[in-house]
Amino acid sequence: MLLLAGLLVACQQAPPPSSPAPSPQNGYGATERAFVELAIATDEQALKLLDLTDSAELKENRNIELAELRKLLDAPYVNNHAGHDMPGMPTDAEIQLASTNPDALKQFVRTHLTESLEVLKSAGPAITHPPTAEVVELMRRHRTAELAAG
Amino acid sequence: MRKPLFHIAAVIGLIATALSIPVAAQGEPVRVAEFLAECPISHRLADDPIVLPNLAGASHFHDFFGNHSTNARSTQQSLEGETGNCNPASDISSYWVPTLYRNNTAIAPTGVTFYYLGEGVNNPAAIQPTPYGLKIVAGNAKATGDADSIARWSCLHAGHVNPSKNFVTCPAGTMLETYLDFPQCWDGRNLDSADHKSHMSYPVAGGCPSSHPVSVPKLRMVLRYPVNGSTAGLRLASGTGQTMHGDFFNVWPRAEMERRVRNCLNVVIKCDHNGNHG
Repeated sequence: MLLLAGLLVACQQAPPPSSPAPSPQNGYGATERAFVELAIATDEQALKLLDLTDSAELKENRNIELAELRKLLDAPYVNNHAGHDMPGMPTDAEIQLASTNPDALKQFVRTHLTESLEVLKSAGPAITHPPTAEVVELMRRHRTAELAAG
Repeated sequence: MRKPLFHIAAVIGLIATALSIPVAAQGEPVRVAEFLAECPISHRLADDPIVLPNLAGASHFHDFFGNHSTNARSTQQSLEGETGNCNPASDISSYWVPTLYRNNTAIAPTGVTFYYLGEGVNNPAAIQPTPYGLKIVAGNAKATGDADSIARWSCLHAGHVNPSKNFVTCPAGTMLETYLDFPQCWDGRNLDSADHKSHMSYPVAGGCPSSHPVSVPKLRMVLRYPVNGSTAGLRLASGTGQTMHGDFFNVWPRAEMERRVRNCLNVVIKCDHNGNHG
């Protein structure tokens, strides 16, 4: 009986297991989906920090990016990174400190820009879906200009 | 002289019986379905090949155990043929957890054991080898409190400290430890899923549900950190202790996994690192 059950399970297992269907060439695949969800989480959290500054441009750029990123979603957005210590994503503790300390605010804004630029540089070659790659390029351009403006 | 020794042995036996510790007569194997791998920290990276594939440096920091090559771009093909630091050396699987910090100082675990168990299902004889290339995530990196967390923190050598889903204060001379049980029922088809969870399930009432009918070894991760005293400043890269989570990418050589499932789990015997028993 056990042997029979084992054979049945073995039969159920065919065909051999697979990973989720590989994304079509230049399609919106697992890497694109992970990037878009991460970038939305990062930008939304960054806005809480940038709201403490008087820079309209920084806030506007993040909001433009968020609108473009949300267009790429192929499923309801889920924040998988809330509360995490992610590169480019200010933590709640940092935002709280920045709210009373102008030097900390300046430092955390800069860290947000430099770290998220590193993530974008890493994402560049990994992302092959053209519309997502365009948003990566937009975000990279924004941060490069923001850092240059000091 | 022999009589006192006999007494000691008898007392130890009685204590063991009272504590439900299996006591094997000499030459008889312990009837616990188990094999294990011990894998110290290998490296630390802001990568996550399951949650953020190909996005190097985009994650919170993880401590990686086992396979030395694991990074954001790891695949089954890239991991196989590489080496790791597990005992047994044949296990070149990849395991990772969020890095633990005291304030901003990272603390590596000094004891890292992965138990593969036959418990949790009523019929260990039906356990199948973990599919080659299977990815499993356990725990909730997004936990916001106790209610949505399965984390367990306790103290090694201080059993009187109640376990908690968040960090616990361990007495001097003891160590902070954490346990994480991975889901052990597989859907029989997918090595991963979009949310990295729905291809796996925990058993229900001692059996695998019809949605996830294939019973595989229950992976239990036990980490011990050189930490005691106040929990002030302790955090994981993913947040509070409740957010403890673990990732597993199985690249045990098929024959090594199959032999251990057959010789240790299916027949309910405690095996050593090499998958052998007394």
